Amino acid sequence: MTGSQADASAPAQQRLEVAHLSKAFGPTRALRDVQLRVAPGELHGLVGQNGCGKSTLVKILTGVYTPDPGADIAVDGRRLALPIRPMDQRQAGVAVVHQNLGLVDDRTVWENVRLGRYQAGRVLRRINRREEQRAVTEVLDRLGRPLDVNQPAGALSAEDRAAVAIARAMQDHRPGGGLIIFDESTRALGRSARSRFFALIRSLIDGGASVLLISHQLEEIVEATDRVTVLRDGAVVAGGLPTSDVDEAALTRMMLGRHLVTHGRVDSHAQDAVVAGVRGLATSPVTGFDLGVRRGEIIGLTGLIGSGFQEAAEALGGARRAEAGQLTVQDQVLALDRRRGSTEEFIAAGVAFVPERRLDQGLAAELSLADNLTLPRVRRRGGRLRIGAAWQAEETAAMIAKLDVRPPDPGAPVGTLSGGNQQKVLLAKWLAGAPNLLVLHEPTQAVDVGARHALIDAIRDAARGGCGVLIASVDAADLAVLCDRVLVFRDGQVTAELTGDLAQDDIVHATFGMAAPENEKSATKRRAG
Amino acid sequence: MDARQDDRTATSPAAPAAEPAPGRRRWLSHRARHWAASYAVIGVWVAMIAVYAAAEPGLFFRVPTFQTIFSSQQPLVFMAMALLCTICVGEFVDLSVPAVFGTTATILPVLVVNHHWGVWPATVVAMLAALVVGAVNGVLVVVAGVNTIVVTLGMSTLLEGISLWMSDLNTISGLPASFSKIALTSVGGLPISFYYGVLLVAGFAYLLAFTPLGRHIRFVGASREVSRLSGVRVNRIRFGSFVAASALSGVGAVIAVAALGGYNPTTSDSYLLPVFAAVFLGTAIIEPGRFNPIGTFVGIYFLETGILGLQLLGLQAWVSPVFYGGVLVLAVTISTLLRRRTT
Repeated sequence: MTGSQADASAPAQQRLEVAHLSKAFGPTRALRDVQLRVAPGELHGLVGQNGCGKSTLVKILTGVYTPDPGADIAVDGRRLALPIRPMDQRQAGVAVVHQNLGLVDDRTVWENVRLGRYQAGRVLRRINRREEQRAVTEVLDRLGRPLDVNQPAGALSAEDRAAVAIARAMQDHRPGGGLIIFDESTRALGRSARSRFFALIRSLIDGGASVLLISHQLEEIVEATDRVTVLRDGAVVAGGLPTSDVDEAALTRMMLGRHLVTHGRVDSHAQDAVVAGVRGLATSPVTGFDLGVRRGEIIGLTGLIGSGFQEAAEALGGARRAEAGQLTVQDQVLALDRRRGSTEEFIAAGVAFVPERRLDQGLAAELSLADNLTLPRVRRRGGRLRIGAAWQAEETAAMIAKLDVRPPDPGAPVGTLSGGNQQKVLLAKWLAGAPNLLVLHEPTQAVDVGARHALIDAIRDAARGGCGVLIASVDAADLAVLCDRVLVFRDGQVTAELTGDLAQDDIVHATFGMAAPENEKSATKRRAG
Repeated sequence: MDARQDDRTATSPAAPAAEPAPGRRRWLSHRARHWAASYAVIGVWVAMIAVYAAAEPGLFFRVPTFQTIFSSQQPLVFMAMALLCTICVGEFVDLSVPAVFGTTATILPVLVVNHHWGVWPATVVAMLAALVVGAVNGVLVVVAGVNTIVVTLGMSTLLEGISLWMSDLNTISGLPASFSKIALTSVGGLPISFYYGVLLVAGFAYLLAFTPLGRHIRFVGASREVSRLSGVRVNRIRFGSFVAASALSGVGAVIAVAALGGYNPTTSDSYLLPVFAAVFLGTAIIEPGRFNPIGTFVGIYFLETGILGLQLLGLQAWVSPVFYGGVLVLAVTISTLLRRRTT
């Protein structure tokens, strides 16, 4: 923490040196005094739970965000001006391969690789096509993946697409230097492709480059990387730990830590009566998902991103049209493969869906808190010719008090509230309708501790009132505190069902597909006993 | 971004205790700015009248001047409300509004004068034509997903061509005098059609502010995805807005034809810019940064006052395009800046 010694005089010069990096979004602090050092010729891993600040870090390194004052970022000992400008980044030899690879599907391989670098003729400003293609072929050959550079990127296999994205990142690469950041880029690769991918990375490193690998696959971090840095809640909990010293379980423990506010687990409110049932839900990648939800029961859906738990939640909330399946709420049967665009029938049957992206899907930023909160009920509760002011004011006031929304101004545009308060308004919008089945997608994502507290209490309160609750989340802490049982998805199937006294570690182990190691189990037992 | 910044400084624990209520002062200045933004154009309007009254004492500040201003703009009121219908649901600009107006206004006198129909059957047919055009626009934009500007621009040109063909490029006149009563009956010194406009604007404003449909319209305009997930039938509302836009254009046309006793189909074009200028100017009035009927209504008469005053000063016909065009650009700029400030 006392990083005030002159780092510049450190004997070995680092390829990437990040110091005192903080970033706050309003009241939420995404990164706190982060230090990160990547040595030349090193494969460095970066791990952490969703929302720990990994993507914020990458966005600062690529110049999307400006860090808070006081940060220091240096490449090969040369400090970069902040925010980082794309030209500086390129000149310093830093390249990023993004999560979704960032390819334009209907353009050719060479156009994708050379985007932003096209060399044009002097007079007619015409792109020198042959020269570009030659350059791209050369880079791909260097990667050991010769491809036809004239085919569209959309026609390639996942593996080749990754190669094209890597080629784009690597083309300016000077042997003996450079840093390539892979931001979850292995997700698209199959198991066999992955080993070839790492062979590729190894050859880059042998050529003198450094690699920062951000990944959810702890297995590959432990196997492939030299050292690893672990982020938790925006801070570094382990910096540059040699991976020869750690195993997956140890990494998991570091990633999780213990949250500042640990809600005590309270008794289940689950009753015997079933309030909702799901039969045969299929929505890519989910197949044949069945579920019975009892009154007052809180069920968690989790897994890795892409495992299907999010898609299942969206389909059950009416936000996504499934290929097959039906949802029964009370006695009403809803077809999940319906054609209708709006969620009207779902709402009428008492299903409420709190979506993940609150300002894209949940709330209209420019309209007022009261208007947003009452929207789903203006037709049901209002007359055809007049919505009626009284019930709106009453409902809004009650919900503002219940969730402690600040500022408590019903007329304030939702966009002016902080993220945590927006999330409270979003939850209130649906709780006010007293739903039978509440489907929540990442209900405490990117909110501060106080808001999380209020949200968790409100969700529990709804369950106490007899509402069945589904929570789709990657936040093991939330799930452990709230849920009666947790369903873990993998490749579209539920592969584990955790019940009883839930521990965060068990949820994470199941998510990452590992059996809980011995010492972990005994720790759980000790806690239970 | 701004709001986030404000939030941080407002809640900063480092704020010295000597300044007890910076938040409150900020709030007051915010309110004052909001109020100023809401009524600035009305202030300019009053100032403009004062300047004209001073510049041409015996000419401008007389009852007939204001009678002219308030009795001549009914076509614009109806067309501006029609344009608002689609803009409010986030369908940017239905360019076919003036053409639907022109087509309805051509069909009616052509049927009556050239084909000797009764006035009322002709009105019904003309209105049906307007509704069909609205439905076609709606299907193409909402169901087929074609770009709004392309569909309505094409429709607009197509309809103008058809109008010219129907009328043989002539002004059609000679509607029965009795028909003009529906528009020209004098009430309190102004033709009754002025009050139709007032009623329409008031009704539209009420719809948006107080009814479930209006609330849904506002939300669809703000975010289709949020509306869809809240159970609003987004596509139905979008489709309805195109039909309503055509219906309002049609009604406006019937009233205008009744007032004029006929129609010159080559004049439809000239309405496009004034309609846009008024609707965008309206975003700087009453509800800053937001399209609203009352602001648009004020905007129409503001523009007409400006032009009439300049014409009375002796300036010629070139004044109106200059004025409308200038105000349109200025109004959009101001409202964009206001919106950026408040969100």
